[in-house]
Amino acid sequence: MGSNDGVLSAAAAAKDASVAFHSDKFAECIDVLNQLFRRRNDDPKVLHNMAIARSFQDGCSDPKKLLELLNNVEKRSTELSHASAEHEDTVSSVGNKAALGSKGTNGVAQHSSSANGSPIGYGDKPDTSVTTINIAIIWFHLHEYAKAYSVLDSLYQKIGRIDEWTALRICLLFLDVALASDDPWKFFDVLNYLEKACFVSDTTSQIRSSNLEGKSSSTAADAYNSDSVASSNASESTLSRTLLGENLQTLISKIDMSGQNLARPASLLSSDDLLRAASDHPISTSDLRLKLQLYKVRLLLLTKNLKAAKREVKMAMAMNVAHGKDSSMALLLKSQLEYHQGNYPKAIKLLMASSNQTEMGISSIYNNNMGCIYYRLGKCHTSSIFFSKALINCSSLRKENPKMLSTFSQDKSLEIIYNCGLQYLACGKPILAAHCFHKAGLIFSRRPLLWLRIAECCLMAVEKGLVKSSSAQSNRSEVKVHVIGNGKWRQLAIEAGSSGNRHMDFLGKDNRFLGDDKEPNLSFPFARQCLFNGLYLLNCLDSKYASSVSPCSSTSEENGQNNSDNKSSSVIDSKGSHRSNANVDSKELKGGSAPNATLQSSILHYEEMCRRQNMMIKQALLADLAYVELQLGNPLKALSTARWLLELPECSRICIFLGNVYAAESLCLLNRPKEAAEHLLIYLSRGTHFELPYTQLDCEQWRVERIVDPEELTGGFSNSKNSSHDETQDIIFLKPEEARGTLSANLALICAMLGNVEQAHQFVMQALSIIPNSPETILSAIYVDLIIGNIQEALTKLRQCSRVSFLSGSSTLESSC
Amino acid sequence: MVSEQQSESLMALLNAGEHRPLDEIVSDFTSKFPGLLRFLLCSSLSLLLENKKMLRSSQRLVALAILHQNYSSQKPSSNPFISVLVNVACDEEAELCERAFIIQLLGSTNSVLKLSAADFIKSFDPSSLVLPQREQLQKQYCNTGHPEPYNCLFKNTSVKNVVPDPDLPHGCDQNSPEFEQQPGLKPKIGSGDRDQMITGLLQNLSLEGLGPRWIRPLPPRLPIQEGELVWLNPANKHELLWDYGMCADTSRGAAVRDLITKALKGPLGPAQQEQVLFELTNDPKLVYHCGLTPKKLPELVENNPLIAVEVLIKLMNSPEISEYFTVLVNMDMSLHSMEVVNRLTTAVELPTEFVHLYITNCISSCENIKDKYMQNRLVRLVCVFLQSLIRNNIINVKDLFIEVQAFCIEFSRIREAAGLFRLLKTLE
Repeated sequence: MGSNDGVLSAAAAAKDASVAFHSDKFAECIDVLNQLFRRRNDDPKVLHNMAIARSFQDGCSDPKKLLELLNNVEKRSTELSHASAEHEDTVSSVGNKAALGSKGTNGVAQHSSSANGSPIGYGDKPDTSVTTINIAIIWFHLHEYAKAYSVLDSLYQKIGRIDEWTALRICLLFLDVALASDDPWKFFDVLNYLEKACFVSDTTSQIRSSNLEGKSSSTAADAYNSDSVASSNASESTLSRTLLGENLQTLISKIDMSGQNLARPASLLSSDDLLRAASDHPISTSDLRLKLQLYKVRLLLLTKNLKAAKREVKMAMAMNVAHGKDSSMALLLKSQLEYHQGNYPKAIKLLMASSNQTEMGISSIYNNNMGCIYYRLGKCHTSSIFFSKALINCSSLRKENPKMLSTFSQDKSLEIIYNCGLQYLACGKPILAAHCFHKAGLIFSRRPLLWLRIAECCLMAVEKGLVKSSSAQSNRSEVKVHVIGNGKWRQLAIEAGSSGNRHMDFLGKDNRFLGDDKEPNLSFPFARQCLFNGLYLLNCLDSKYASSVSPCSSTSEENGQNNSDNKSSSVIDSKGSHRSNANVDSKELKGGSAPNATLQSSILHYEEMCRRQNMMIKQALLADLAYVELQLGNPLKALSTARWLLELPECSRICIFLGNVYAAESLCLLNRPKEAAEHLLIYLSRGTHFELPYTQLDCEQWRVERIVDPEELTGGFSNSKNSSHDETQDIIFLKPEEARGTLSANLALICAMLGNVEQAHQFVMQALSIIPNSPETILSAIYVDLIIGNIQEALTKLRQCSRVSFLSGSSTLESSC
Repeated sequence: MVSEQQSESLMALLNAGEHRPLDEIVSDFTSKFPGLLRFLLCSSLSLLLENKKMLRSSQRLVALAILHQNYSSQKPSSNPFISVLVNVACDEEAELCERAFIIQLLGSTNSVLKLSAADFIKSFDPSSLVLPQREQLQKQYCNTGHPEPYNCLFKNTSVKNVVPDPDLPHGCDQNSPEFEQQPGLKPKIGSGDRDQMITGLLQNLSLEGLGPRWIRPLPPRLPIQEGELVWLNPANKHELLWDYGMCADTSRGAAVRDLITKALKGPLGPAQQEQVLFELTNDPKLVYHCGLTPKKLPELVENNPLIAVEVLIKLMNSPEISEYFTVLVNMDMSLHSMEVVNRLTTAVELPTEFVHLYITNCISSCENIKDKYMQNRLVRLVCVFLQSLIRNNIINVKDLFIEVQAFCIEFSRIREAAGLFRLLKTLE
């Protein structure tokens, strides 16, 4: 039995290593592991624990390397399991006993008669779940949420077979990853699963553990065991007997009786695991409850169910007080809640109360959140100070030594940089903003909104004349007239590129989107590329929604919560079934007894909110794209884009207006003025009078698309209505009246092209009365006068208009005329 | 753009028509200006020619000569300004000498170019002039099958971007020669220098002219979306986990696995069975590691139905359970399989489809058995099974009413079937 002794001492050494590890004596731990490793050098688990202990000892400066190591361990384990499976197959096919055959083939499948170890190893195949969750943990700290997600999802699929302690860690990590990957349904699944596990173990653990301690035969289970063994043993004979005696009824009732014994509650967390958990890492049930409560609040905040969030955060605070725990997290969430409600002073107060700024990671969070609040308060400058402070915090965090894995996840600089980008864009600094968005693209590149923002930077940079290549763009705010010659021979030359392709010189020039300094070259071709990316990503999202909604209608009976043994339907549940369940009875659930019905209905509401938000983004993308195509001289593409925009089901009136104007211009450029006119004529009423294409209300809605809280609808917070109205950086766009003038001026041009000079004159005069200061309108008016041949009228208009500057000769001296 | 210097030197060339031969001027033009600029200048000249009063006669001749000669190496139809030339040649209101000059140019009589413009005007004899018809000229020089190039309406409809704005004292005739600036004299009010004007125009004339100016509104920026500004929350500390499975004892799992392997072959002894059930109850995860697969389930059901029940209950929430159900439905009907299903129905909630399918299989098995004794036995069993299901509200009779009724009628000779039939009637 020498090998058994070896196993025994190996187990003892493993225990020593574990104890050393958990009392932070890493050097000692590594020593023991090294000894173990010499004896069993092909045991992947020893390698694994060695890597973990090392990363705790000298910090984790190269997480990628650790990742690689763990991947190898995982690969090795599966290789070994294949090998042992084959081995067992051959052995058993010979007819031998597997117990003997597997001895020594690998370290994990050792058999020994002693029963003093932990119940983790089953020996059927090596359990790699700890290695796998460690891989997920590293991805999580590296902000690679998609990768962590897929690793965790595969673990979660077989969560039933994983030991409870590891399963708990998997679930907690998965909650964070699901939040970070914006997948509230998965979050909901895992939360439900955890809650059930937590509650069940709470109520039954005492009974179970007493069971275990007593090891008596008087427990229900044992009673059942002996009973059922007897009955099954005797079943065949009993049956034949009763068949003869024609007394099936009694047999069945006997089966029933014993069957009922089966329906006893089973716990998710076995007592062993609870004990182990308590000894290793002290997570008490009350701690776990508090954790779950805070997670719940975070989900409610994400889904903007503010009323419910308020309720739950209050509860979390109470739990904190009851247990005398540090309540900074709850305070921070409360601050976020006030921020979303628009109570900014209160949000600031809570934020200050929540933070102990000694910790570097925390202070960057504090500063960033302050920046958000001040941005919403319209204090652009203050907010930018906070954001840059937050960035400084992050960079000093990066310099910290030794590097722990958590320093990577605490470094939120890319998120903060995105906030900076938004703030720069709002302050009219497109180049700086683009720089930020470009960097933030490392984590946000799957978001359509990011690409829209970069495109907006391009448009703004060109509009402001900030980019070199846009020199062709003369100042659009005035008309320049050169005065040539004098006396009898005096001539006026109106400086006017044709309207068609003001930016033709962009074509072909900017093929490289990134400059030498790897910074984006802001230009129209680049903007177009960004808009394409955004549209592509948005379509991906759309098809994701479409495919996940369709199958849900079939499965809707998975509500078996009354069964205590049915630990959770969520393991097998698809995303869709939740949705359909809730779709069917979200109304009645709302006030109902189901514990997480509020969460469910807020997720549904959140999805609707996201859908609407994506709709807005799509409109903006298409409007920008149509504009960019026109600027690039592609009327055909501009036309199809504008038509796409007009076909959107929930298009805002502003975008409909833009779509019509862009489509009309494209059609004119394609020599189809009659069709072009149709796009403008829809706004014409009473013969020659244009309606307002949209109202002031539409403008305000565009300015602040606030998504209303689901519970707010039924009479909630009134103060949140005006919350983000005080955003100082207004979105500049044509007022409804100006839009009307635009329609009139443009229709005048179409009339002129069609040779209908009188109507052209009429419309252009109308336009001039509405928007007398628009240079385009003045030029159009002069153009129409010149077509009619009314030079005097044209000259008068030139002289009367304040937006005309006269330049003497070719110099730029302005002369008053 | 044409610079001030360039426009002045072109002006000098135009004025040189007074004394220098035209071919010299033309060659100066070619040598002084690079290719693309020549086109720009030619187009400006053609615009200047449109207004008959702008250029003096000799200047006009020089301009016409330049327009023609600049493209003389190509076919006349390739000359972009050929239509300007033909138009002037056919213009009834144009000066006769100008029209004759163009005819001669087009006829490639290069002798005219040896003269200066002034000399040509002086020596011009209107009597010898034969003016061809417009159609004839157009046919000869313009239309040689060039397709009309695509032209946008916006451009076709553009007008010249220069408007005369004479600055004269009120009521004066602007055609009066008194306002022509005379060199050496003090300029009087309203007089202007024609050459200065032309140099200025050369710099500012736009080939494209003044077109319709479409208002193209800049699309508004999308407002910051809800949740777009990232609010940060501290991440939970997820530390790397220690693997307790290292060098772990696997004996108990192995023991159970051995027993399960035995249980597939024959009934276990009471002590063994107790051990399996105890271990399974003790460790809820063990069931996943005990070596049972769906394929092996029928053997377990036949040999140790109680262990099968316990295992299936443990597996209820695993994804594999549906596979086990499929196997259970499809295995041969027997007392043990029925017992397993019956116990399951009372212990856990089974999928309705599974229970229905199982009952249907029971019924068809009864119908297919040849051996009368065995058939009777199975029918009784099925009847009791069904009664139990009905009484325990496991199945809704309505779903299977017709099927079960037919079954009862078919086997009405058996007492239990008649009993089941009566039970159905009471439920109706």
